[in-house]
Amino acid sequence: MAMKPEEILQAIHAARGGAICIPTMTTSPAWRTIAPDDLSVGCVGFMGGASSLGLGLALANPDRRVVIFDGDGSLLMQLGSLATIAGARPRNLTHLLFKNGVYHTSGSQVTPGGLTVDFVQMARGAGYRNAYAVRDFEDFKKRLPAVLSEEGPLFVELHTGLAEKTPMTDRGGKPFHEQVDTLRRRLLTAAGGAA
Amino acid sequence: MPESIPAPLIIDVLKDTFREARAALAQEGWRQKGDHLGTILSVPDTHQKSVLAALDKEQAIRVITCATEDEAATINAGLWMGGEPVVLMIQHAGLYASINTLRGVAMDGKVPTFYMIGLLSREKDKDPKDSRHSMVRFAEPLLDTFGVPHARMEGPDDVHLIPEYYRLAQQRKGPAAVLVGLETA
Repeated sequence: MAMKPEEILQAIHAARGGAICIPTMTTSPAWRTIAPDDLSVGCVGFMGGASSLGLGLALANPDRRVVIFDGDGSLLMQLGSLATIAGARPRNLTHLLFKNGVYHTSGSQVTPGGLTVDFVQMARGAGYRNAYAVRDFEDFKKRLPAVLSEEGPLFVELHTGLAEKTPMTDRGGKPFHEQVDTLRRRLLTAAGGAA
Repeated sequence: MPESIPAPLIIDVLKDTFREARAALAQEGWRQKGDHLGTILSVPDTHQKSVLAALDKEQAIRVITCATEDEAATINAGLWMGGEPVVLMIQHAGLYASINTLRGVAMDGKVPTFYMIGLLSREKDKDPKDSRHSMVRFAEPLLDTFGVPHARMEGPDDVHLIPEYYRLAQQRKGPAAVLVGLETA
């Protein structure tokens, strides 16, 4: 049975410590409920950008874990980012792919190739330090400490069902520029500067 | 008549620009992480290839080659949130390809984003608006359409535009661009 995205996000929230998280598309509504007002920035209004946003944050914050909550439709829009991330070799980056085989937000149209696309092989081929798939929530929970600490770049393909909400059914949340500003000020405070 | 700008001059100006940016970030309270002065996010541009070749030998500037200009603009946002100075080096074709990211990330996100954009195939004896190449003709009008401040470097005397437009991007919290008029030497 496919994992529930909300359960995965709850487990990550409980274990993440000071990790920066980058939700996109259908993980966004659930994440802002589970982890409101914290070290997160959503990829809103530029589908496909979560992986690159995560890379920039990881390079700028080498002492802090950065976790991307990507989608399969989203990653397909910026597939070259796998090679860019692998080339930059951020040791603190975890790239999670919530794979459901559809563009859930726009009406669940099947993504190119659907569930047959093997993103693990793509990440390995691009040069990620490690890449594997997880299909079972108990297995995910066992692996979670390593997911959040293993030397990156790490890619994990999570076989999930559909989220309960999408950015179209739940349009709340701060505008992107407010999220950017908030996260930058928090990182500056953590760096010892005035926010 | 426009002239080519030598790569070492551009590298020196980039270093000075990053030093100034680092000083401003330090005043804000940011610590420097790593030894590099700043980061160049590049999608290789034929027009600026002599600069990219010189950067390969440059230890003080970190260069990250991106697969697309969308990536470059978005990685820039992440680096900016973490207090890192960045310059994007791309080609006009990449500007066209990544305009939604310029809009969504740099403009809507209010993220300072400084571009150096090569005008590949720009004829030396023509103003870009009169070029026979659409990719040369449309770059400046496209930037105007999106309200992105820009200026063109037409020779070595114009390199001061690099720090000026870098600063402008920071002040405006959005995109600003310098176009490289002729292929760098």
